[in-house]
Amino acid sequence: MVIAQSHKQRSVLVNFENVGLSYDGVSETLRDVNMVIRDGDFRFLTGPSGAGKTSLMRMIYLAQKPSSGRLTLFGENINQLPRDQLPLMRRRIGVVFQEFRLLEHLTAFENIALPMRVQGVNQNEYAQDVTELLTWVGLGDRVNALPETLSGGEKQRVALARALVSKPDLILADEPTGNVDPIMGERIMRLLVELNRLGTAVIVATHDLTLVRRMKKNILRLKDGRLSLHGPLKDISPATRAEASSRAAGDERSALGA
Amino acid sequence: MPEAGAAGAPLMTVIAVISFLACLALAGFFFVRQAAQQWTSDLSGSITVQIVGDSPSVIDRDIAAAENVLRATSGVEEVRVYSLEQRRKLLEPWLGKGRVSDSLPVPGIIAVEVSPALRKDLSGLQMDLANRAPGARLDDHGVWNDSLSASAQTGQILAFGIFLLIMVAACAVIIYAARAGLAANKEIIDVLHLVGASDEFIAAEVQRRFFVLGLRGALMGLSLAIIVLLLSGWALQGLEPSGYFLPAIRNNSATMVWLLMVPLLICTVAAVSAKQTVMRSLSGRW
Ligand SMILES: Nc1ncnc2c1ncn2[C@@H]1O[C@H](COP(=O)(O)OP(=O)(O)OP(=O)(O)O)[C@@H](O)[C@H]1O
Ligand SMILES: [Mg+2]
Repeated sequence: MVIAQSHKQRSVLVNFENVGLSYDGVSETLRDVNMVIRDGDFRFLTGPSGAGKTSLMRMIYLAQKPSSGRLTLFGENINQLPRDQLPLMRRRIGVVFQEFRLLEHLTAFENIALPMRVQGVNQNEYAQDVTELLTWVGLGDRVNALPETLSGGEKQRVALARALVSKPDLILADEPTGNVDPIMGERIMRLLVELNRLGTAVIVATHDLTLVRRMKKNILRLKDGRLSLHGPLKDISPATRAEASSRAAGDERSALGA
Repeated sequence: MPEAGAAGAPLMTVIAVISFLACLALAGFFFVRQAAQQWTSDLSGSITVQIVGDSPSVIDRDIAAAENVLRATSGVEEVRVYSLEQRRKLLEPWLGKGRVSDSLPVPGIIAVEVSPALRKDLSGLQMDLANRAPGARLDDHGVWNDSLSASAQTGQILAFGIFLLIMVAACAVIIYAARAGLAANKEIIDVLHLVGASDEFIAAEVQRRFFVLGLRGALMGLSLAIIVLLLSGWALQGLEPSGYFLPAIRNNSATMVWLLMVPLLICTVAAVSAKQTVMRSLSGRW
């Protein structure tokens, strides 16, 4: 089911027009992708492994040029963007990479602070935000831990905090719950929903259909290199939904110390 | 940001060696220059008048005539006539002590200090001497002077050329290391870009790292060079009591100041070439 939405006053952040991507110039990983992401949108991006979810996101966070078509980011055609404009554009996008991509020689704190540092922000302006984010993701006691001493799930949470620290306009989360237990997964999703409610656009790539069902958000589905937009999935059963939401509510309360 | 990594210690060693060699080349340059200056200045104001003749009386007559001519010439600052005693002493090494007979016509010697203006044009003096004292020969040490300054010049050019070559090697090593560093730290640089770092930010981080590395390596090389120069100066001083051959090392603070510039030059070269290398190779990306 393709849905139409009313979004007259919300500005367009991302606009794909017939975008195609081919890594080798022969086979097409993505073709004819058309999609609009507006301020305040929340989208799940689903599709089987290898469908091109990461590839699609890579184009949005300016790691990969489209092979064809037109991709507009914050109103600018990225193919015509001069190189010195790329950093400014990337700073408006927070990315949780599927493989985290933390810098191994930096502590958890320094990794999270990185987006602020590269913008030349003074440490005393962001130190408190970084500490609060670390506490929120449950790593308040691992401030000075190096990534190699963190578990997969802990790294994922550091990566999430790094994506949020500069308060971006658009958050791209590639499998942000892939390495954490359901409770932490639920908390991460709640946080993303909360940020979205405050106005940030969010795209979450995930395999986790249970999660997708629960969140009741529109879905971008990738299949055979093509993208289609769908309404929220139906729950499997009311019982599952009740159980899931009560558990989530409880987690949220305990996590926030309420 | 890109860490010191494994290249840190070897690179610092290479820079230390380069700095050491550069210091030696530069010290060599100043040494040759100063030695030549000292030698030529000692010689350049001096000329010698030799008087030969068939008999001591003829020689004595010409000596007196030549002395008069010299004293009457403007630009002559000092005239020192060697006595017969002194001249005999000079001959002793060749003829043996007490073997110089009274009847032997020992040539006369007059050492003369002249002004630079007169030194440039001795033809007038030469003519006067020929007229008044036919046995007088004027020796202006010109052959000595010319060959000394020619070889000193060659030595200086050679030393400075070596210094420049060493600097070129420093540049090349830094550029190579910066490129290797970029390749080795590709993931770090990609992440920095993706979280919004500009090329300038990354280049500045790399530049800072190479500056520190260059400074530390170069200071090590400089210290080693100073130790070696002092030791060799001390050793040569023992061989040559006048200490005439090592003016550049002994009591010469100017050379030391120039040597101190070497580390500054090297770490500047390191910082600039690292930055240029990074900016150039990053601009090729998207
Ligand atoms: N850098 C690359 N170079 C060449 N081919 C690539 C590259 N990245 C991805 N691909 C190919 O593109 C296709 C899509 O990969 P992508 O990583 O986008 O899938 P995905 O949907 O994120 O998969 P997963 O769910 O497993 O993360 C795959 O066939 C993959 O082999
Ligand atoms: Mg992926």
